[in-house]
Amino acid sequence: MCEPQSALLLRKQLAELNKNPVEGFSAGLIDDNDIFKWEVLIIGPPDTLYEGGFFKAHLIFPREYPLRPPKMKFITDIWHPNIEKNGDVCISILHEPGDDKWGYEKASERWLPVHTVETILISVISMLADPNDESPANVDAAKDWREDYNIFKKKVARCVRRSQEE
Amino acid sequence: MFSDIKAGDTTPTHNHSSVRDWIVGDACTIHYTVMEQQHNAQESPTKPSEYDPDINQDELIKAQEKQIAEEIKANTAMIGSLDDLSTLEQEYSNDPVYSGKVKTLLPKYCNVRRTRPDGNCFLRGFIFAYLEYCIHHRDELARFKKYLEGSKEELFEMGFPKFTTEDFHDMFMEVVSDLEGSGSVDRVEAVCNDGGTSDYLVVYLRLLISSHLQKNAEFFSFFIEGGRTVEEFCKQEVEPMYRECDHLHIVALTAAVGVGVRVMYLDRGEGAAVASHDFPEDSTPVIHLLYRPGHYDILYNKA
Repeated sequence: MCEPQSALLLRKQLAELNKNPVEGFSAGLIDDNDIFKWEVLIIGPPDTLYEGGFFKAHLIFPREYPLRPPKMKFITDIWHPNIEKNGDVCISILHEPGDDKWGYEKASERWLPVHTVETILISVISMLADPNDESPANVDAAKDWREDYNIFKKKVARCVRRSQEE
Repeated sequence: MFSDIKAGDTTPTHNHSSVRDWIVGDACTIHYTVMEQQHNAQESPTKPSEYDPDINQDELIKAQEKQIAEEIKANTAMIGSLDDLSTLEQEYSNDPVYSGKVKTLLPKYCNVRRTRPDGNCFLRGFIFAYLEYCIHHRDELARFKKYLEGSKEELFEMGFPKFTTEDFHDMFMEVVSDLEGSGSVDRVEAVCNDGGTSDYLVVYLRLLISSHLQKNAEFFSFFIEGGRTVEEFCKQEVEPMYRECDHLHIVALTAAVGVGVRVMYLDRGEGAAVASHDFPEDSTPVIHLLYRPGHYDILYNKA
């Protein structure tokens, strides 16, 4: 086989997403020659603090995709309990089952080979709307969210404004 | 850990020297082994261990697990070559319990084919042994192809994502169609040892098992441990790769696909003979697998 199965599957998904875009995000490649590195633009979900924002993120797929999950990193600054300050997304479906570091999360939400770019982004968008403060990646954001919601709102609003200027 | 690994069997009985020799079971048992090794290391008098808050023990374990998994990958074919059953006897020359039991297999079985212990061994062993059987039984291959064709819609109805499910399905259909034309045991061996293809077949079988369990959730819910629903069980123990197969998986797969499997249980259980079990019960087995705690290999009946 000249091209790995993972590349074929990603190519098919990219074509499908271009033909039939899904509400809430758009997807493309960082570099047209590398099917394993995607750039997505997530539209801040309506009726959430992130509404009106445009958040750029990278999805880096391993050669073993879909057997193993991609990594996701926001490029646009975003203040959220489950996104590290450097942009790394910590969401349980991007972790494999049995991954002990994440043992406190429900295993039912772990990575499965049936996941697609679309199902990943749907989960990420729902995470934006509904943070999980049991396993924060950004402890300060989680603290704001829990203890000083007004500060949290202000910081998110700043991110949204900046994302519109980019 | 949801697995019928028996405690007495996961601990090595001989003095093994390398990490690889330690591994007697599948991926699931690796974690156990690593923890044991770290535990032993801590007891060493030359290296008193103190709690170091800067070291994340989970990450150390994960790194070591990964290293072991890589080592297994580099050293074991997904489906090994056809070996004489006497090789199994030699393996246990120093172990009276196992070698005695292996001797009772000799009148019935002549060969063994070893599978890679990566948590997918049952499913990979099943696929290989079944497709090999189909090479010699073309009517069965035709029946299986028909079943496979219909299974896709069923999975969609169960709510599996169309995109990926279709991809796994199409790959399986391609393999079966190819075998219909130019089928040979060599071809099956090549397919099952090609990483991309082989893993896709394993994933699809996992979806078939999950679908069967969820369709019959009311019945299967009685057999699930840990207060989990059937759906949770499927998402945790069935659909992810590298998760070992247990009784429930085997019951579901053999019922869904309609293929009889006989498992010979080689363990330290009571009795001089190797216990066997047929799935589904009362079926005529077309595949014979050898179970050792945490692992399945393929057995060959004497003609």
